Amino acid sequence: MIEFKDVNFSVDNKIILENIDLTITTNEFVAIIGPNGAGKSTLIKILLNLIPNYTGQVFIEGKLNSEWLKTERIGYLPQKEEYDTKFPATVMDIALMGIAANKGVFARFNKQDKLKAMETLDKVGIKQFNNAQIGSLSGGEWQRLMLARALLTGSRYLILDEPEASIDKSGVNSFFDLLSELHKQGKTIITISHDLHMLNKYCTFLVCLNKTLHCHTETEMLTADHIKNTFGEALKLIEKDY
Amino acid sequence: MLSYAFLIHALLGALLSGISLAILSPFVTLKKIAYMGEALSHIAFAGIALALLLSLNLSLVTMLFVLAVAGLIGFVSRFFQTEETNVITIFLSVAMALGIILISAKKDYSFDLASYLFGNVLLINKTDIYSLIVLSVVNISFITLLFKELFYMTYNMTVAEVFGIRVKTVYYLFLFLLAINIVVAVKIAGVILVTAQLVLPASIAFQYVRKLKPAIIISILVALVASLIGFYISWQFNLPTGAVIVLVEFMLYLLSLIINKRSKVRN
Ligand SMILES: Nc1ncnc2c1ncn2[C@@H]1O[C@H](COP(=O)(O)OP(=O)(O)OP(=O)(O)O)[C@@H](O)[C@H]1O
Ligand SMILES: [Mg+2]
Repeated sequence: MIEFKDVNFSVDNKIILENIDLTITTNEFVAIIGPNGAGKSTLIKILLNLIPNYTGQVFIEGKLNSEWLKTERIGYLPQKEEYDTKFPATVMDIALMGIAANKGVFARFNKQDKLKAMETLDKVGIKQFNNAQIGSLSGGEWQRLMLARALLTGSRYLILDEPEASIDKSGVNSFFDLLSELHKQGKTIITISHDLHMLNKYCTFLVCLNKTLHCHTETEMLTADHIKNTFGEALKLIEKDY
Repeated sequence: MLSYAFLIHALLGALLSGISLAILSPFVTLKKIAYMGEALSHIAFAGIALALLLSLNLSLVTMLFVLAVAGLIGFVSRFFQTEETNVITIFLSVAMALGIILISAKKDYSFDLASYLFGNVLLINKTDIYSLIVLSVVNISFITLLFKELFYMTYNMTVAEVFGIRVKTVYYLFLFLLAINIVVAVKIAGVILVTAQLVLPASIAFQYVRKLKPAIIISILVALVASLIGFYISWQFNLPTGAVIVLVEFMLYLLSLIINKRSKVRN
């Protein structure tokens, strides 16, 4: 269970998130939607303790997030990850990052770890690139690697910030099929997404966010009004896509 | 006429300090923290000046001084929430200024400023050799035992933290080790030239390979070859050793750039 309690966040007097009270129960497949700049990524970063100066509290399984994260892990797929395209890392190296914490400080990766990583790379469809330098990946291939790394943490929680970005149509379908499978196996998934089609099909719980929470409800209960309130003017854009 | 023992000490000192810096070189270049090396060596200069003025143990005082200032930099940039790289650059200059003032305050001026700025292999004694051997072993053990952490630390600290990898502690340990290496090497390589030996070996290595482990090995080999050639040339033509070693490494760097370019064209 994940709980946001009266979370507020602003930068230089500009309010980014206001009065966020939100509870996400275990084994939910949650989608967070909202227009660009709504604060979706920020909300997730707060949950992951990546942003220091917010007020309010976040609890994971009843513990303060900073405490919980000291011993446990979340499978996180960031919206963008800064790295040097010339950095000497292979796809395998970055995938193994997901397992690194479970290995303990001095331990090295063994054959089993690599096998496990290979399996996951296969699941996301980039097994053939396991030895490729990360700088050589396309946008979609990179995104698949990010998913593989998140999966490899083995965490009960998957938090994905626009995982379908730059993924092709069939890729998006297999992405969500995979997530749905994991959801059935008992994982709690939170995904930020602009693909309302997919969300409607797979998600069980919807969070509409635009600085404040506009709704958080079972997917079936979502009405056009909710969307209209969340997106406001931005709605026209969405409707076109939809 | 210099004795044989002197020659051996000088050669071993040049070799070992080059190697110990080369071991850390790939991490420093990948993480783009060469400026840290720059800052640490200049701060060490102020430490040396202080030790000389007060006639205290040189290595110990310099080490403590460098660590104190490093802590101060960390504190200032965090407490006043300013950009750390700027604070470091400011402290670098201030340390240099302080060092120059301290040296001018020591009226009897019995030491050679140039020795510390540009290094002097003739200052090396037996204790230095032993500490360099220990340091090289510590460096190698450090990067072997914590390879995974260091690798992800250089890749992206924030992301590594999210994935529960203990990179922050490892980063501070790395900086601590870097400081010790620089304090020891400054005597041999000099305040101004030590950074070159920290950056060039890996810069050369990454022209040939795109993997960290081989790059570390090539980096060490580069330092070994450059120190030997540089030492020989400086001995033959009576030139300052540290400076010649840096020039030899630079030649190797140019060569690696050309070779890399040609192999790219061919492909
Ligand atoms: N460090 C920061 N400094 C200043 N403004 C920030 C900072 N971080 C986020 N913001 C602002 O907060 C708002 C929310 O950003 P956030 O990245 O959370 O949006 P988002 O909902 O994820 O948008 P998108 O759909 O484009 O990814 C934006 O207006 C952004 O400009
Ligand atoms: Mg975002």
